Amino acid sequence: MTSKKVLELKNISVAFDSNKVLSNLSLSINNGEIIALIGPSGAGKTTLINIVANIIQPDSGEMLIDGVPSISINNRKEYAKKIGVIRQQFDLINQLPVIHNVLAGRLNQWGVLKSILSLIRPQEKYLAKNALSRVGIIDKMFEKTANLSGGEQQRVALARLLVQNPEIVLADEPVSSLDPARANSILSLLVDLVKEENQTLIVSLHSVEYLKKYFTRVIAMRDGKIYFDLPIDKVKEEDLKAVYDLEVTS
Amino acid sequence: MKINKYLELHKRGILSLLLLGAFLLSLTYIPWSSDLIHAGGRSTINEVIRSFFNPDLSPHLLRIGFIASWQTLAYAVASIALALIIAIFLGVLSSGVLFESVFIKTFCRGLLGFMRAIHELIWAWLFVAAIGLSPLAAMFALAIPYGGILGRIFSDLMQDVETPQILALKTSGASPMQQLFYGYFPASFANMLSYTMYRLECAVRSSSILSFVGLGGLGFQIQISLSDLKYNEVWTFLFFLVILVVLIDIWSNLLRRRLSQ
Repeated sequence: MTSKKVLELKNISVAFDSNKVLSNLSLSINNGEIIALIGPSGAGKTTLINIVANIIQPDSGEMLIDGVPSISINNRKEYAKKIGVIRQQFDLINQLPVIHNVLAGRLNQWGVLKSILSLIRPQEKYLAKNALSRVGIIDKMFEKTANLSGGEQQRVALARLLVQNPEIVLADEPVSSLDPARANSILSLLVDLVKEENQTLIVSLHSVEYLKKYFTRVIAMRDGKIYFDLPIDKVKEEDLKAVYDLEVTS
Repeated sequence: MKINKYLELHKRGILSLLLLGAFLLSLTYIPWSSDLIHAGGRSTINEVIRSFFNPDLSPHLLRIGFIASWQTLAYAVASIALALIIAIFLGVLSSGVLFESVFIKTFCRGLLGFMRAIHELIWAWLFVAAIGLSPLAAMFALAIPYGGILGRIFSDLMQDVETPQILALKTSGASPMQQLFYGYFPASFANMLSYTMYRLECAVRSSSILSFVGLGGLGFQIQISLSDLKYNEVWTFLFFLVILVVLIDIWSNLLRRRLSQ
């Protein structure tokens, strides 16, 4: 595991309707880190993820991906090779069979004709096969996505991410709509896959129960600022309590 | 204060009473004389009702009915096919899915509105004037307003596709054209299909009205029988029309059920 800087945020600020959501946020993330992003609702976790995912543009500040300013990557397809996103399972196209949702991870490599052709006769099928067997639902390949359970759908989203194969994986509350057993297995699968692919992972979570088990670093946010940013072995119980404490106003 | 509260509670009832009063009052302005309804009409109505129970089911007429139904269906399908091409093209452009340009969106939306604001009968008059009495004129006359209606619906359906799904495609690097085929189309396909089938029913109905333009088919047969005052034949053809619409409805249901599985 090299300690190459894959992501660097410098003084990022965002406001929605003159409401500061992120203020002067700076971060530096190395290749291979498994990071948990925690904090109460409204702390700015999702906004931060959306900025890194290039869905929201910051009002000020700079972001470097692999040392390159993100604004110079103006092509969506190039960006998708760097950064992939997984959310709750609701972001799949339910009406399509599983295989097409998985192969959608390949759209950044395909031209329009090839992607349309693929809907009729799946292209590079081995990629989908391989990804689906790694997430353990190879038998669902041709099933309609809507007919899968929540946990299975989240595995489809993981398979899509495997096919997309970005350098950095962002997960925005990936398990918040699953029951504890399923949440645990999806999270462990996500972390395993990211490690196998030598990717970097940032997961936003609304609970702290999985921190010790899977993550190497914890970034806690509060009121649009970083409250603490520590390696997992330095995080103390009091710190975690303080992040969510209603009384403390940063 | 008390009156206000009473009014607040019963304002709907009071309005209903007022409207009922207006209706009763209006009845007193009608000249209730024997001229109100055409006197000779009664016997015609009786004749029409009698032939409803007594349609002409002779093999010869049934044969004509089958052929005419087939023609009507063919014209309706051809018109809808043409309307679909217009609708998909303009619907996609006016939904803003491919191009964010406000000009393109507004222009296409306006064009769709123009096409459907004019009824198919009026389009038919225009096309008859332009290309004469021919089936082609009738097909264009149907395809244009139907394309306008379908296009508007398609555009709305695509705009209603939930954003997280599209956002996910965007972040996996899909271009707008790829988003269309992997997101917008599959997500709204079932609704598009069922609305198109409904429009096919309407096209069957309308193509029988447009028979005067030179469309053969059920409408044409009905017209002939009507001018001969053969109401029993008219009913036979009308039953064919009803059966045709019911069959399309059943077909549409079967398709939808297969899609939802």
